[in-house]
Amino acid sequence: MTMKVSDISPSGFDEMYLSNDEARPHYATFCDWLSRQPADVLSRKQREAELLFHRVGITFNVYGEAHGTERLIPFDSLPRMIPAQDWADLERGIHQRVRALNLFLHDIYHEQAIIKAGLIPAEQVFCNAHYQPCMQGVDLPNQVYAQISGVDLIRDGRGDWYVLEDNLRTPSGVSYMIENRRMMMRLFPDLFTRHAVAPVDHYPSLLLETLQQATLASSPRVVLLTPGRFNSAYFEHAFLAQQMGIELVEGADLFVKDGFVFMRTTAGPQRVDVIYRRIDDDYLDPLAFNPDSMLGVPGLMSVYRAGNVMLANAIGTGVADDKSIYPYVPEMVRFYLDEEPVLKNVPTFQCRKPRELQHVLANLGELVVKEVHGAGGYGMLVGPASTREEIESFRQRIKDNPDNYIAQPTLSLSTCPIFVEGGIAPRHIDLRPFVLTGREIHIVPGGLTRVAMKEGSLVVNSSQGGGTKDTWVLEAPSC
Amino acid sequence: MRLTIEHHTHYQYSEQVARSTQYLRLTPRPSVRQHIVRWDLDMPEAAAQTTDAFGNILHVLTLDKPHDEIRIRAHGVVEINPDQPVAAGNGLSPLVYQRFTRFTRPDQALLDFATGFERPRSSDDLAALSAAIIERIPYTAGETDATSTAAQAFTGGKGVCQDHTHVLLSVCRQLGLPARYVSGYLYTEDSSHVASHAWAEVWMNDHWYTVDVTNQSLKPDQHLRLAVGMDYLDACPVRGVRYGGGPEQLHTFALVERVETGEQ
Repeated sequence: MTMKVSDISPSGFDEMYLSNDEARPHYATFCDWLSRQPADVLSRKQREAELLFHRVGITFNVYGEAHGTERLIPFDSLPRMIPAQDWADLERGIHQRVRALNLFLHDIYHEQAIIKAGLIPAEQVFCNAHYQPCMQGVDLPNQVYAQISGVDLIRDGRGDWYVLEDNLRTPSGVSYMIENRRMMMRLFPDLFTRHAVAPVDHYPSLLLETLQQATLASSPRVVLLTPGRFNSAYFEHAFLAQQMGIELVEGADLFVKDGFVFMRTTAGPQRVDVIYRRIDDDYLDPLAFNPDSMLGVPGLMSVYRAGNVMLANAIGTGVADDKSIYPYVPEMVRFYLDEEPVLKNVPTFQCRKPRELQHVLANLGELVVKEVHGAGGYGMLVGPASTREEIESFRQRIKDNPDNYIAQPTLSLSTCPIFVEGGIAPRHIDLRPFVLTGREIHIVPGGLTRVAMKEGSLVVNSSQGGGTKDTWVLEAPSC
Repeated sequence: MRLTIEHHTHYQYSEQVARSTQYLRLTPRPSVRQHIVRWDLDMPEAAAQTTDAFGNILHVLTLDKPHDEIRIRAHGVVEINPDQPVAAGNGLSPLVYQRFTRFTRPDQALLDFATGFERPRSSDDLAALSAAIIERIPYTAGETDATSTAAQAFTGGKGVCQDHTHVLLSVCRQLGLPARYVSGYLYTEDSSHVASHAWAEVWMNDHWYTVDVTNQSLKPDQHLRLAVGMDYLDACPVRGVRYGGGPEQLHTFALVERVETGEQ
């Protein structure tokens, strides 16, 4: 089985194929194996995977969809492979970037040296809704703000890597990384004997270590705080808590008393030292933030500010991954680390700057426009894929509130073949490696590869119908 | 000027409350402007004391046994030195007070109102803005409540100190000036006036300027500051969450009296 000649876009970069009839070297073993598989075996395996995922219960709630709020994230059984050397470069770049972002967060909540140095305008930080006044002057162990981060990477038509965005709030998706690997090992055990694939199944134990290092308390009690089963990522919350062997709690299971946080248990109240919270800042404490929130713990902020409980991630990390701050990340790397950034940013136009706004409005048809505080692929315009009416209505929204938008050139995004009816065909992908920061930084090799399942689509977000693939970092040249 | 303050807050619930947690901002922060001679907070149980995002003194009161009322009494003696400047804060950038919040986000009417003003540059400009607000929203008790936003009060055309303050904050922020909410006590010769009060501080020329719209005053010579914040929610004296309890009745009483010098 091979891809048809017409499939690979001449201007694009395919992860598997160099040209229509030649696989990239690190895919040679796989393609050879693939060519010897009868077509019906693969389609049977694909169906088997779907059945198993249904049974395991990996689902994802989709906002803004009329029926069936819970549905399966499509899984594709062709792995996305990354050669060892490429990964080593990426890892170095991600490491550097996450270090700089944590230093930035510490700085803006303390001395604010980067602002005093004139590298980032003060309004960009302090008027940002995600800058949390309650974090000013609060000292955190090891000065770590984002214990868990996800760095979204894409490749352009030449195969060059770019950071599309940083996720420093409550990045999700890591459960798919782990489950996808388990699925692949179950479906195709022989492939793992032919390839030295770097393991990912130690992520939960690394995560637990990282969470324990978020506090100075000895033998700390760690819990995972979820908004509950109606949250889109509830499966992941339950999965991670179970894998780490820690309690999965909701706000009502915790309470604040005498300056500490306690968990209600059948054996009486138990003090909690670290909360891996999967609830946004605004919902964490109805007495400090959104008073209507029923998800959080009343009084939590007072305990946190006093240093008697730790939150992972810290409050107020959103100011560093906001799209309005993104253009400054390369400057952060130079400023805090005195190094040149390893990873490139996508060139970004800030609509709050009149000259850049003018350029954006004149080139809407070719650009991708995003809301600065948006996430999950909601509220964006992909110029080349939009109708005239869509572009014009978006133009008005930008004009009404230019500060709220940034724009980037439409990068082609690399492709990787997926399994389709009657063969395989290329689809656009990205990559979200997960980064754990405790006393040291750990990056599990690979991450989550997201796939735009629709032909030609560039939107990979699972909330917008994207799927996933297993990601293989090859530890050595395959034999 | 030396003031005695007596401030009672009494919540009564029609049913038992299973548990509750309150943030209390009922203790004035000492500064060169206000010397705390003595201050006490009487509560049903001991509460942990800490500070909040804006440097206010915060008590966290958790009642985890069933209760059908909460009584809190704050009382003390404070010496006010109105000639001293308002302290800058706890290292927090004044720019955060330029953000809109749920109480200060403008609607079209407030946007239109703000376009009638230039960004204030002097006390006179602030006084003019304050006068325009009281003209649009004459002091009227009972027309708004603690949940009313600046936009709602502006449309209704009636309000109290909280509403006046929110409207001023909203307009100042639209004009690019950081402005913050202050809750506290006001001393008046006539003790029939409400002693609990709210006013604004506006950041201009690297100083905080006091603007008391309700009393059309820019001089905080009878004002005792309890707490500051981005709006009412950050600075209100009592903010709580309870589980159960049914409808509640709230009784508050605040009395501020002047102590003649020499008297203790």
